[in-house]
Order: sequence, then C-alpha cells, then structure tokens
Amino acid sequence: MGMYMIRRIVFAIPLLWAISLLTFVLINLSPMDPAVVVLQAQGVPVITDELIARTQQQLGLDQPFLVRYIHWMADCLQLNFGNSYITGQSVWLLLGPALVNTLRLTLVSAVSIIIVSVVLGVICALQAGRLLDRSMRMLAFILTAVPSYGLAALLIWYFSVRLDWLPTSGMESYRSYILPVLIITISYAGLYFRNVRSSMLSNLNKDYVLYGRASGLPERTITLHILRNSLQVAVSIFCMAIPIILGSTVVVENVFAWPGLGSLSVRAILSRDFPVIQAYVLILAVSFVIFNAISDMINAAINPKLRNGL
Amino acid sequence: MPKQIPLLLLLMLMAATVLSACSPAGQSAANTTASAHNNELIYATAKDINDMNPHLYAGSMPAQGIVYESLVENTSEGIKPLLASSWDISKDGKVYTFHLREDVKFHDGEPFNAEAVKQNIDAVQHNKEKHAWIKLSTKITDCKVIDEYTVQLTLSEPYYPTLSELSMTRPYVFLSPKDFKNGETMNGVSGYHGTGPYVLTAHEPEQSATFEANTSYWNGTPAIRKITAKVLPAGETTFLALQKGEVNFAFTDDRGADSMDVEAMKQLEASGDYRIVRSESMNTKMIVVNSSRSGSPVSGKAVREALWHAVDRKTISRDIMGGTETAANTLFSSNVNYADIPLTQRSYDLTKAGTLLESAGWKMDPASGIRSKNGTPLTMTLYYDSNSSSQKIQAELIQSAAATVGMQLKLTGEESASIANRRATGEYDLLFNQTWGLAYDPQSTIAGFTSGSAYLHTTQGIPQAKELYSKIDQVMTSLDEAKRKSLYADILNIVHDEAVFIPVTNGNITVVAPSNLQNISFKQTQYELPFESMSFQ
Amino acid sequence: MKIWKKGSMDKTGSLSLLVVIGVIMAGLFAPLLAPHDPLAVQMSLRYAGPSWEYLLGNDQLGRCILSRLIYGIRPSVLAVLVVLLFSVLIGAVLGFAAGYFRGRIDTWIMRICDVVLSFPGYVMTLAIVGILGVGLENILIAFVLTKWAWFARVIRTSVLQYTEQDYIRFARATGMRHGQIIRRHVIPVTFADIAVVASSSIGAMILQISGFSFLGLGIQAPQAEWGMMLNEAREVMFTRPEMMLPPGMAIVIVVSAFHFLADSLQVALDPRLRQSGVQHDRQPEHKEVPVRL
Repeated sequence: MGMYMIRRIVFAIPLLWAISLLTFVLINLSPMDPAVVVLQAQGVPVITDELIARTQQQLGLDQPFLVRYIHWMADCLQLNFGNSYITGQSVWLLLGPALVNTLRLTLVSAVSIIIVSVVLGVICALQAGRLLDRSMRMLAFILTAVPSYGLAALLIWYFSVRLDWLPTSGMESYRSYILPVLIITISYAGLYFRNVRSSMLSNLNKDYVLYGRASGLPERTITLHILRNSLQVAVSIFCMAIPIILGSTVVVENVFAWPGLGSLSVRAILSRDFPVIQAYVLILAVSFVIFNAISDMINAAINPKLRNGL
Repeated sequence: MPKQIPLLLLLMLMAATVLSACSPAGQSAANTTASAHNNELIYATAKDINDMNPHLYAGSMPAQGIVYESLVENTSEGIKPLLASSWDISKDGKVYTFHLREDVKFHDGEPFNAEAVKQNIDAVQHNKEKHAWIKLSTKITDCKVIDEYTVQLTLSEPYYPTLSELSMTRPYVFLSPKDFKNGETMNGVSGYHGTGPYVLTAHEPEQSATFEANTSYWNGTPAIRKITAKVLPAGETTFLALQKGEVNFAFTDDRGADSMDVEAMKQLEASGDYRIVRSESMNTKMIVVNSSRSGSPVSGKAVREALWHAVDRKTISRDIMGGTETAANTLFSSNVNYADIPLTQRSYDLTKAGTLLESAGWKMDPASGIRSKNGTPLTMTLYYDSNSSSQKIQAELIQSAAATVGMQLKLTGEESASIANRRATGEYDLLFNQTWGLAYDPQSTIAGFTSGSAYLHTTQGIPQAKELYSKIDQVMTSLDEAKRKSLYADILNIVHDEAVFIPVTNGNITVVAPSNLQNISFKQTQYELPFESMSFQ
Repeated sequence: MKIWKKGSMDKTGSLSLLVVIGVIMAGLFAPLLAPHDPLAVQMSLRYAGPSWEYLLGNDQLGRCILSRLIYGIRPSVLAVLVVLLFSVLIGAVLGFAAGYFRGRIDTWIMRICDVVLSFPGYVMTLAIVGILGVGLENILIAFVLTKWAWFARVIRTSVLQYTEQDYIRFARATGMRHGQIIRRHVIPVTFADIAVVASSSIGAMILQISGFSFLGLGIQAPQAEWGMMLNEAREVMFTRPEMMLPPGMAIVIVVSAFHFLADSLQVALDPRLRQSGVQHDRQPEHKEVPVRL
C-alpha cells in the first residue's frame, strides 16, 4: 500500500507541472498585453509605446519565456497570484474564501449524493427488472436531462416563495444548503445510483451469495454481506464525485448567489479580470488532481486489486 | 473484519469534515428575513461594495455615499454647505477658503478638522493621474491649514466647476487620517471611517455589507438604523428575494442597470407590499461611439449617423421601458444647464440611414446582406451590461433594425467594470453608457470628453477634435457667463453634428421600497440615495 | 450496424432514435421547416400568446418562438454532434495508433491523455472562454480539446481487446498491411464501443452548452439557442411563466432521448449485457463522468 501511495503521488507531480505550464501558456494567449493592462490598472491616462516598453522591462516581460515561467511559478507557490484588475485586491484574498465556500457545498452535496444513490441503488438492485426498478431508472434519465438552472428556478419559487420554507439564495444558514444541494444531487445521483445498482447486481450473482442461500443462511445476513461489499462502491463514488462536483457547481452557484468559486469565475470572465481567471484555473485544476489522487488512494486501500493499475 | 475499521474511520472522518464545514455558516440562522425588522433596509445589489477606499474607484458609489461626505453638497438649488459651513472665493477665482463645521467626528472618533482635510486632499493629489477625469485635480496647486477649522485651496487658474467637483461622491471626500497607510491612500487603506450618516460595521465579500446609523452624526442620528447591502444576481433572484422579504429595497445601480424589468416591478407594486418611486429624469442613456478606432466603420460619420437613425426610441421607451423613460434626441435634455440650444433632430428613419450609407460608399452585398466599403464589412460590436436585461433587449432591437439597412451589429454582454475599462482603453466600437447626472451635466461629462478614462476615445477621432478640446479648456476656466454659454453651444453642436454620442432615452433612478417607507427622495446625482432622510411610517 | 437490423433495440431505444433523427433533420432543414425568420423582430407582437400563425407565440422582441426553437437545434444539438465527430476522429486516430502499434507510441499518447484528462473539462472551458472571450466557438474548441483524450483511451482499450484476437493475429501473420487490417478488421468491431461512448456523452454536452449560454458565456444574441432562450424566459418567469416551457421541454426531451438511446445502444451492442437476464449497467471503464453544468 505504501508503495502504491508513493507511486500515486509521484505520478501526480508531472501532472501538476503540466497544468502549471498549460495555465501559463493560456495566459500568454490572452489578447491583452499584460503591460498595457497593468498601466490601465494604475489608471495611467495616456499610454504611450515608450511607457509600454518601460513597463514591460519592469515586469520582466522582455525576458525569455522560460525565465518568466519560473518567476511566475515561484509566485504561485507562495499563493501570490497578483491583484485583481477590477478591485485591485489580492487575488488570493478573493479566491481563498470562495474556495472554502465551494468546498463546503461540494462536500455536503457529495454526502447527499452518496446517500441517495446507495439507497436507490440498493432498492433497484433488489427489485431488478421489476416495475419499480425500470421506472426509477427512467425517472433518473429524465431528471438528469433537466437543465439545473431551470429546475433551480422552479424549486426556489416553490419552496422559498410559495411555501416560505427556505431562503431564496445566499449562504446564511444550514437552510441555505438545502436547495443547491438538492439540485446537485438530482443532477448526479441519477448517474451514480446506476453504478451502485450494477455493483449490487454483480454481487448478487457471486458465488458466496449462491452458496449462502444454498446453505440456508437467513436472507438478512446475505443482504448485509452484499451491502458491505457495495459499501466499497459507495466510497469510491464518493471520492470520485468530489472533484467532479467541485468545478461543476458554476451554474448552481450563480443561480443561488453562492459566494463560491463558480460565481467568482463567471464574474471574472465577464469583467475580463485575467489574474482572477488564471488563478481560478490553476487552483481548480490543482485541487482536481489532488482530490483525484486521494480518491485513487482510498479506492486502492479498499480494493487491493486496483493497486496494480498504475 | 479488521479491514473494515479503517474504512469506517474514514467515513466518520469525512462526515466530521462535512459537519464542521457547515457549522460556522449555521450560526447566523436567526436573521434571514428582513421584513420582520423595523427601521432596517436590506437592499439588493448585483455587485459587492468592493474596496470602500473613497480615493479610488473600485467601490460601490451608493455605499460610499452614505459613509463619506464632501465639503459641499450639490442640490437642486445649487451648492449648499455640508462639512464646510461657509466658504469664500478670492476675486481672481483661484483661492477657495473653507470654514469647516466644528462638531464633526470621524466614525473612529478622530476629529474632523483642517488638518484632516489637508491630509485627504494631499493624498488625492498624490495620485493625480488616476483622477485626471476630474479637471479640478489638475488645477489644485496647494492646500493650506489656516487654523483648526479653516482650510485654503489654491488653484493654478480659475475653474468655475470647482465647488461642484468638490461635491462629488469621490474623490474629494474625507477618510479618517488614522486609516491612511504611510500617510497615503493610493496603496490601500486600513479602515473605512468617514463622517457620514452610516458606519460600515461588517463586510462579507461577495455576500453582504452592513451599515449602522452613526449615532453621533452631526446632523442627527438617521431614522433608518441599519442598512444591509446584499449581493444578489439581478433579475428573478432579486424579485423572489423581495417577494419573500429577504431584501426589502432595490434601486437602479450606479451604472444605470435596473435589477428587475418593468413588469416585475409592477407586480411587486400590485402586491401592496412595495411602492415604486422614480426620480425625475437624471441623465441620458446613450450609445457611445469610438470615433478614433481606425479600421472600424464607426470612425466614419455617415455610419454613426445611420446608426442614430436606426434607433427606434419610441418603441424602446414605450415597449421595453414600459413608458418609464422618455425618448432622448440629444446628448443632454434641454433642462440641463446650457443645453437648451436648437439641434437638428435625427429621427428613427431606416430609409434615411440607408441613403446615408449608400452615399458614403458603403455598398450592399446582396448575398450576405451586409454592406462593405473597400473590402471592409460594415460590422461593429456593441457592448452591453450583462446585468441589465433592458440593455440587451434594446441592443437586439437596434441590431435588427440596423441589419435591415446592411449594418451588422455584434452584441457582447459584459460586467460593467469591463465596459468601463473598454471605454478607457478604446477597445470598443459601440457601448452603452449614460451621462453622469444632473450634478455633473454638462460640465463634468463634457470635461470627460478630454479624459482618457472617460470619453477621449469617443471624441478624438472627429476632425474638429482639436477645436473641441480647446473650447472645452476655455469654457472651464471662463468666468464670463455669456461666453460660457456660446462655448457650450459650440461644443454641443460639434458632438451632435459628428454623432458620437447616440442618445436613446432619458434615464432616472427607480426605487423599490416597502410601502410604508416615507420621505424617499433623490439627490442631484444618480450615484447616491439619501438613506438618512428616509423613515418608516 | 447489424444489430439494429436484428431489431434487438428495445422500444424506448427505437423511439429515442426516432426523436433524435427527427431533431437532427429538423435542425438541418431548419430554413424549410421554420414558419418564420427566427430573427424577425416585431415589437407589436411582444410576448404575444400562441396563435395559428405563431404556434408557440412570440418572445420579448416579438420573434417567432417556434422558428427560434427549430433554428436553435443548430447550436444546441448539431454543434455538439460536430464537436463529437472531431473528438472521435482525433481520439480514434490516436487511440488506434496507440492500441495497434503499442510500444513507445502507446506510452506517449497515453501520458498525454492522462494530462489532458487530469485537467478538468469545465475548468478548461472556462479558461478558454475567459481568455479568448465569450462565444459558442470558443466553447466548442474547448470541448474538442478535452474530449478527444477520453475517446482515445476508450478506443485504445477496445482496439487492444480485438487485436489480441486470433483472426487479426492471423491477418498480421499473412502479411496484410496495417492500414488494411485496421480498416477491415479493427474499425468495424471497435465501432460499437465508440458509438456507445459517444452517445452517452451527448446529453451532458448539450446541457453544458446550454448552461454556458445561460451564464452569458456562450452564444451571443441574436442567434437562437435553447439555453439562451431559457435564460431570457427566466427573466420574466414570474410575469410570464409560459415562456420557460418551449426551450425547457426541448432540452429535456432531446437530452432524455439521447440518454435512452445510449442506454439501449449499450445493451444492444454489448453481447455480455444481452445474455444475462437482467440489464446491467456497464462499470465505467474510465473515471470520466460526464460533467453536468
């Protein structure tokens, strides 16, 4: 296991490096000259070519690509992503709290997804092929086809305004979590519950179940055994879901005015706030890699067979 | 079995993480609904209040307006005392002496005196480049403390809009010198203590900001004890929050975007819980044309004129704005000082637009339906505020009218900050904008014609640019009323003739307020609301 | 291909296929089918209800909603198919190369795939839109850039599976040229896997594109796109809730049709699944789960 963890971590390093390089290249693709942008941010009224050249020199933009890349990397490692073009604040001070808020939403949603998909998956597996199973699966297909923003608007209207049970938006209390989490759960549980179901099904056909039944073990004991084995799938789904939800909360965050990375990134794009966009991309990609690595390790811990995969 | 233990631990750990992640947010569950509280306003805003430093431009103006104050105030009856109780102007118009109120304290308890005024004005002047749009910043040569409550401002030459520029929401407002960093404000400040009726007490970035009544305000504690600015996406989120009482106030933001469309507001009014109050016309909403963008069709006068003829102001005013705004045919409506001059009207007339383009050499390509000239297609981009639903619909209406005469408009929605940036850098063909409001029109808006961060790119492409700029310089320093009048007439004639500012409607501020909120009034600027005078019945 | 002829697709599958083909056709022949010009503004018909002339009524600028819905198929659905085609092509070329030739080519291609797949798709899309500007084209480019790796992987796996089979070894031994072997023996059998994988990701991609348009990052006015129509409808959802229905239903119907189709294809094309009495869902071969926005 130790070896596997080391291999997995070593494997993540070139990925992180590639991500940083890719992000850096992306910034350099930006149509705006960084020197001009900095001058604008300083509010210089008339920007002359000479001034641009001088600023480029000051910023080290005239240096070779590799040198600039190394400087940039060093800054990033110290969480220094520069200042926002719009507010002038440090990008990390903007992104840090937003990242925490998005992580909160992600974790709560992942828990909710896992509960819903395990419960539904087990029920459907036990009822496999019957009406309940078939209609559940059909419902899941249709629900996952509903655009989350449309669904969100309807649910806000019904639960928050008509019934006056929940807040319409923001992140004020635990009640603020209910609707966004519900929306994310509906979008994803439909996908994951099928995994739980099929793993249950394949367990049902396994020898130990057949043997147990044949030797007259009570059905409850057998079900418990199956459930325990399916727990593995549940944990692995949980781990897999976190990085995926982490970045796909964009729409939900925007609809619910959730003060997270998703809202921040869309606003940054619409205000062409490049330092924020850049840092957002880097931070999310890095968290994605980290969560993926953790999820692989947990999966490998549960299921030793996977350890040879790498 | 032992295998299950780490797994179980892991799950418990995750559950614990999740629970602990939720709990900090769970504490403030009590204060979700606003309607229950009296004497409290919670307003919806699409943008965070941002950096409240009053000597820079990132902050929300309505928020800065209730925290900070200026020396004088611009009212419908002219300039009135505020932090300065009186003032004298030297004969040559170059020296202004202000006598300050003696009962004013900053929110942190620091006294407001001549020394504080000097430090603030010096701090602003040290960051001159940033304030170039406000011409006064280029004229101030010295700020001197005469005695504890007397301060003297010296200008390099007479400048008639001095008092009105000192009355603006920023930058000539006062922050406690204790909040300065190394005696400056240009590199950020350590606190936001002004002298205004409200004190900023809490700020959750991108979520909310809380202002509480300043109990030692020199003009008496305001009746509304607490104001909260809540960040909400414009549109139906704001509508729902109002309906539910999570917020109870909304108004046109400082860039002129309404948070809801006209019909939604009518629905709120019909419910009886809210009332809608509109100010008189405050400004002109317009499309600003970048005359200096070489290579773009908009650098040609005929295209600008054709576009002017392609705007169906009547339909915009009647159908899109629901009659709440009137059609505008000139940059400044005739009730603005110096603007009551005869200008030729360019009405909605697509045939005329087509003829203008044809005679300017823009030939129709029957295949694409887009005109072109010397290989350049007649294609332009119009930027609108993505938070304003009415701007997008107006843009689409104009786009479709323009298409019938062979002009292709591309539409791009962006945040207002980005649009302001484009205006400053000249990276635009066309963008939605508004004049700066009664207190600023015409002098400051016109001064903005020469400022890089405002309308320099808009105006510098026209052939008479030099003449225009010299006239603007003259008018600002002229002390003779009749001469000013004729200079303003010339200036307005030039920009009207060149069609660089295409007027659309006369805008106002719309307030959605609880129906029992009294004394809702407006200032002379579209950037602030006098919350301190409001009260519940 | 053969399997469809055998009629082994279930009823839902066949119905979904019909819906999908119908929608694609409607999109292709939009100019013939749409009763009006989707861009024709008529302010006098602003928010008019359904009438015989305008079957689904008119929008905020008095444009025909039905026509906009039909033209909206192009960016909402056809664009996704084009993106998919490109990603499959790139993925197929690289996947075949990796799976067939093995060795260093394989290692390199797979490493690149790992890197691309570790860069989450939505972040890539937001990055590209953020830097190159908003617009449908940029989103589509981002999609191709991120999706190909996934296809390359799946195709490689299936090529590996088949090249190990005896008849291909035999073909190789008899000195058939590589191109010929790939064309005659490998492509036909891997096609099934490609079809399953591709069809199962269409739904999520359609939702993503509409999600981006909804956020104002996708297609720009006046072009009709379902996500944008939904966004425009959302602004008046409490004064005119009926405006949400046409684009909302269109998305739900088309995306569910693709979901059902993918599901049926998977069962029909995978003999293992057909033999067992109850339907199984295949375990995901790869961690990529279609990201929803």
